[in-house]
Amino acid sequence: MGTFILKRLLSAIPTLLIASLLVFSFIHLIPGDPASVMLGDMADTAEIEALRVQMGLDRPIWEQYLTWLGKALQGDLGESIYFQEPVTRVIAEGAETSILLALFTMVLIVLIGIPAGILSAAFHGGKTDQVVSGTAMLFASIPTFWLGLYLIFTVAVGFGWLPTSGFPSVLESGDLSNLKYLILPAITLSAPNSALVVRLVRAGMLDTMRDDYVRTARAKGLLEHKVILRHVFRNALIGVVATLGFTFVGLVSEAVVTETVFALPGIGRLVVQSILRRDYPVIQGIILVVVVFYILVNLIVDIVTTHLDPRVKMA
Amino acid sequence: MIGTTRWGRAVRNLSAATALAVISGAAFAQETLKVAITDEPPHLDTQMTTATLTTIVNLNMMETLYAFNEAGEAVPFLVASDELSEDGLTAVLTLRDDVKFHNGDTMSAQDVVDSLDRWGAHGGRGKLLYDMIESVEATGDAEVTITFKGVFGPWKNLLAFVNGGPAIYPSEIIKDRGPEPLAPEENIGTGPFKFGEWRPNRYIELTKFEEYAPHDGPADGYAGGHEALVDKLQFIAVPDVGTRVSGVQAGDYDYAERITGDLYAELNDDPSVETIRHGAPTMPLLFFNSAGGIFKENFALRRAIMAALTPSEAMAIAAGPEDLWDAQGAFYPKGNRWYTEGGLDSFPQQGDPDKARQMAEEAGYKGEPIRFMLTTSYPIMYDTGNVLVQQMKDAGFNIDLQIYDWPTLVNRRAETDLWDIFETTHGAVPDPSLFTFLNDNYPGWWTSPEKKELEAKFVGTTDADERMALWTDLQALAYEQVPVFKPGDVYLYDIHGPNLEGLPEQLLIWPAFYGVAKN
Repeated sequence: MGTFILKRLLSAIPTLLIASLLVFSFIHLIPGDPASVMLGDMADTAEIEALRVQMGLDRPIWEQYLTWLGKALQGDLGESIYFQEPVTRVIAEGAETSILLALFTMVLIVLIGIPAGILSAAFHGGKTDQVVSGTAMLFASIPTFWLGLYLIFTVAVGFGWLPTSGFPSVLESGDLSNLKYLILPAITLSAPNSALVVRLVRAGMLDTMRDDYVRTARAKGLLEHKVILRHVFRNALIGVVATLGFTFVGLVSEAVVTETVFALPGIGRLVVQSILRRDYPVIQGIILVVVVFYILVNLIVDIVTTHLDPRVKMA
Repeated sequence: MIGTTRWGRAVRNLSAATALAVISGAAFAQETLKVAITDEPPHLDTQMTTATLTTIVNLNMMETLYAFNEAGEAVPFLVASDELSEDGLTAVLTLRDDVKFHNGDTMSAQDVVDSLDRWGAHGGRGKLLYDMIESVEATGDAEVTITFKGVFGPWKNLLAFVNGGPAIYPSEIIKDRGPEPLAPEENIGTGPFKFGEWRPNRYIELTKFEEYAPHDGPADGYAGGHEALVDKLQFIAVPDVGTRVSGVQAGDYDYAERITGDLYAELNDDPSVETIRHGAPTMPLLFFNSAGGIFKENFALRRAIMAALTPSEAMAIAAGPEDLWDAQGAFYPKGNRWYTEGGLDSFPQQGDPDKARQMAEEAGYKGEPIRFMLTTSYPIMYDTGNVLVQQMKDAGFNIDLQIYDWPTLVNRRAETDLWDIFETTHGAVPDPSLFTFLNDNYPGWWTSPEKKELEAKFVGTTDADERMALWTDLQALAYEQVPVFKPGDVYLYDIHGPNLEGLPEQLLIWPAFYGVAKN
């Protein structure tokens, strides 16, 4: 197990290098630079150029990349041009919101998506299946920005039960009641994702149900719910676990629309804003962190899969 | 009776404790006014950017030598009095002696000189003034002498305009600083609020400056005596307009800026919010390239384009209800002291495609592509631009519409050979000399001999009537040579909760939160 994890982590190094190189070259290929964003509409070319020099943006790209890489290897991701703060701190600010929101959403997805998927598969073709599948299709089709605004309008403004937007830090204040700020965003994000899980669980289970060992289980007189849960569901779960892993990473890094609607200080919004501001160090830093995160989640998914299915060997 | 029983005593003690808690709670309650803004400002160094978001935050903590009053005049603010020599070449400013910086130091003449020097050397607007200045010197502890190269009419207006303007910092922070924006905590000024903290993507917080020394006059626009009536100001980036509105309706925010026109009527009828219109308009501007491309020295072709346009259609689509726009071509709105009708005969009320086609032909146009750069980053530009482009196409112009995000457009417009027209918006400015299209270095590069001659006369006089007459001529010239085309004025509006007191009926230019209390 130890060797497996070590091997996987070592093999991640080239992936990280290639990803960072690609990101670095792509963002420097986009026209526009942070100096002109910062100095605004009235600034003349000479001042913009002077600031570019001061920020080191006039040096050759490969030189800038090597400097950045050298520092990144020592854990220093540089300083945000926009916020004039260490990139690690800027990312950490966003990470709290994004990770808590993703966890909250995952709980909802698992609690709603998996039971609904099982029900739908167990009664496939019947009324329950039609209702569950229909509802899932409906939620998969609702745009998140609309659902978000609708929830704000009804639950937060109409009833005044929950705050409309923002998210004060929980880690800093220690105030768990701040989690209420994440309820509506989590519902918004979980709607389309739960629908996806419902479809996956259902499809996976229906596939498995045709397998011989399920017929055998039924033939030897096992109770139907045992067949469904112990034999069918467990085997269908393998595909679902992989999807859940990547959904989690996506929720952390790509929930731009939901974060924008609820004015949440998350990673998704940060990366989009940083691209618009040409805040190169933050973009590079986030991409690096997200790639590492992907690799780790992938590893965890593999470990979980081997536990679920002993036939998958850790190589 | 209650007091005599055991229960009675308990109740009495409990109510006493509750009362005490309420009183002490009130004494320690920190009143925070929360302002929802559209995005985070690029930085807080107001000398180095004309970004509105920087101005909105900065207005509450940084101050200038002069400030604009309600009537739009630049009046002494950090300056106690001034004297201009008879030849108009030397201004002696006597500073107020009671002004304290947020770090506790008293403002001196040297602080002022170093602040102005940095702004003059690196600030976009500062250069306009410093090009006309021989020297700025501290000639006493509280005396600054400005020597001009020639008579320069708009000097006070330039010193009073906080947007991209000369905020006064302590010497030790501002002396010899380059164009790199100051770090947020370096924004030490003399205003009623001081910098607290900037949490990326969360908020910018300013706190009340307890030792603030207000101007002794009554509050008057951005001038006069200010007072912080809340303990903290928080500026929170809430990018979605629907969320800004809901946030104020639900009481999560006290104030929200830039609400869209489609919600105006509904919000005017909503008792949970109040709308507040900006008194000064924002104007979309189409810049023609005077330094390269098809419009270079071809004023007739620009006039042909203008003849094809029906500005009211573009304005209605971009701004919504008629209260919020005015398709008029003067560079200042009616009622402003700089309003003039010079050249307005040429402003197209109703586009005439046939006439435009004929004018284009006479100007030598043979269907060459016209590169029009537009951005999706700002809805007013995008919406008006799209309508105007369609009107140009209807009159037979071969428009090559190029759509970019804002930083890309800014980058490309700096090159004289990459474009023919680009659209931007321009905020209200207190003096015509601050219009970007009059700036020789601003993309568009309007530098015709006629313009240069008129402009030199305009800035070279301090006589109010003469300046007005020359501005009228300049506006008329702008309709003849068309360095820019202005389809009209857009009036933005903000909203706030009914519990805010002290806001004016209509904003002068930007909201300021001194003198505003929460009930």
